[in-house]
Amino acid sequence: MALLKLERVTKLFGKLAALEDINLDVEEGEILGIVGPNGSGKTTLINVISGYYRPTKGEVIFKGEKISGLRPDQIAAKGIVRTFQSNVLYEGATVLESMLLSSHLQYQSTDWEAFLNTKRYKDDFEKVVGRVLELLKEYDLLNDTFLPAKGLSHGFQRMLGILMALMANPKVLLLDEPTTGMNHEEAMFVVGHIKKINQQGVTVVLVEHNMKVISSITTKVVVLDFGHKIAEGQPREVMNRPEVIQAYLGTEVMV
Amino acid sequence: MIIGRRYIDYKSLLPKIVAGAVVLVLAIFPAIDHSVVTLSILISSGIWGIAAMGFTLILRTGQFSMGQAAFMAIGGYVAAILTVKLGVPFWPSFLASGVLAGVVAFLIGIVVLRVGGTYFSIITLAFGEMVRIVITNWESVTRGAAGILLRPPAPIAIGNFEINFATSIVPYYYFMFLLVAISGLVFWQIDRSRIGGTFRGVAANPMLSEHLGVPLMKYRVIAFTVAGVFTGLAGAFHVHFISVVTPLVYGLWQSIQIMMMSIVGGISSIVGGSLIGAFALYTVSNYLTRVPIFNIQYLVFGAVVVLVVLFLPRGTGIIDLWSRFWRKVFKDSDIYEEFSTD
Repeated sequence: MALLKLERVTKLFGKLAALEDINLDVEEGEILGIVGPNGSGKTTLINVISGYYRPTKGEVIFKGEKISGLRPDQIAAKGIVRTFQSNVLYEGATVLESMLLSSHLQYQSTDWEAFLNTKRYKDDFEKVVGRVLELLKEYDLLNDTFLPAKGLSHGFQRMLGILMALMANPKVLLLDEPTTGMNHEEAMFVVGHIKKINQQGVTVVLVEHNMKVISSITTKVVVLDFGHKIAEGQPREVMNRPEVIQAYLGTEVMV
Repeated sequence: MIIGRRYIDYKSLLPKIVAGAVVLVLAIFPAIDHSVVTLSILISSGIWGIAAMGFTLILRTGQFSMGQAAFMAIGGYVAAILTVKLGVPFWPSFLASGVLAGVVAFLIGIVVLRVGGTYFSIITLAFGEMVRIVITNWESVTRGAAGILLRPPAPIAIGNFEINFATSIVPYYYFMFLLVAISGLVFWQIDRSRIGGTFRGVAANPMLSEHLGVPLMKYRVIAFTVAGVFTGLAGAFHVHFISVVTPLVYGLWQSIQIMMMSIVGGISSIVGGSLIGAFALYTVSNYLTRVPIFNIQYLVFGAVVVLVVLFLPRGTGIIDLWSRFWRKVFKDSDIYEEFSTD
């Protein structure tokens, strides 16, 4: 059974259907690519899954349990964590602080234990700091630990955003265009890290524009156009289907 | 290198030593000076300081409460009504005032904090005025504009030693000292633990925090309720201290005063900043009431806020002058540490 399942999800803004009747299965351990032209509903899809929007119709099901209608923090606690299309970070925080501010779901101890400063809370804190350093080291950000997050280059800011999401212990990671505004090297740097995250057992849903990125790491691709799913399958095969080419480039005109 | 290490030791130890010395001096202060004037300034500073700590805690979650005096009013009126009208002893009435202020803060919080931001400020402002108007007009319970007069709490006997609130101001001073110590400890512990970190995250970027698993409402309500409880207790003690409560004691001006105390003192330190801010502004306004110019304290307070915002930007206040001072003093050794290779 699919880990994450969308059943006939529709999202209307007024009378405009940003998503219409979307069915989608995300299998455990895969990297699913979601592509489509601008305005095709890719980001809306992420917003619906992460709980930022409620679907107008249909259901989102995670591990056999309905999650649509829950708040974003509840969905995050269940293990579905997203990143944002722009660099959304904590204002004024350093890299280390940003990671610590994202550590809410790492704590086993309750608020009371934190308030009373019990041993379990102190142990938890040690573990969290350890985890932060481990992640920063693994993903090449250790040298920037004490720098202001906003001072990092664009690519590293995106990477920090992904690491902050990892601090929430995701089972499914929703990445909203992680390589926008990057040159090829930067994009491949991020792609390498996404692969690594996936190998450690995190299922990834990747919304992307960059076809090179999609074809290099995804196992399955879903194509959206005007809120409809128009194709699904192997990346290389799907990209050559006429309806997909039409959605991206317009109708072929014979001269 | 040695100087460098000393610098680090001084830097971490000096604030602690000075804070300890200040607490010690304050603990034996009545032995140094037990004049009613001095002690009442300190007692009032402590009371308003607790309210300012509450304001700072709410500000940590990014919300700007403009009706904190209303919680002092609730605490104060509960204490007065219970002791004077219903004959409840001091301690139960005192604790009840904190509990009730907390319950009201919780109920207001779960409704109002859903919107947050500017709306929260405006609704808390309106709430403060509502409380004042209800108190003024609900004459059968609150005695309206005439207010309620209180007798000093009954003497507490410990063995042969009797603490008598009727004959001396010193017991009030120590009561304030304990109340500030307990509330300060609670606020400080919340602020420095993971909870304080979560508050800061919620303030810095609520949407991001929520998507990383932080229930926004829960933490906003925690801050607002804890602030409500201790502000209520401060109000109850304040009413016993001035032995009268009228609707005029807790109005919009007092809410603004609490806000100013927190900001002028410096929000970087929840306890120290609030207490220093409260002491500074209370002392200033206390002396200004003797200046024969009508309402001059409003003018001076306005000027103080403008000065603080201009010269101590980004949430720093009087308390940050202290660390700036030490940074200057130890500047040379700092450089020495940085460049020494030995």
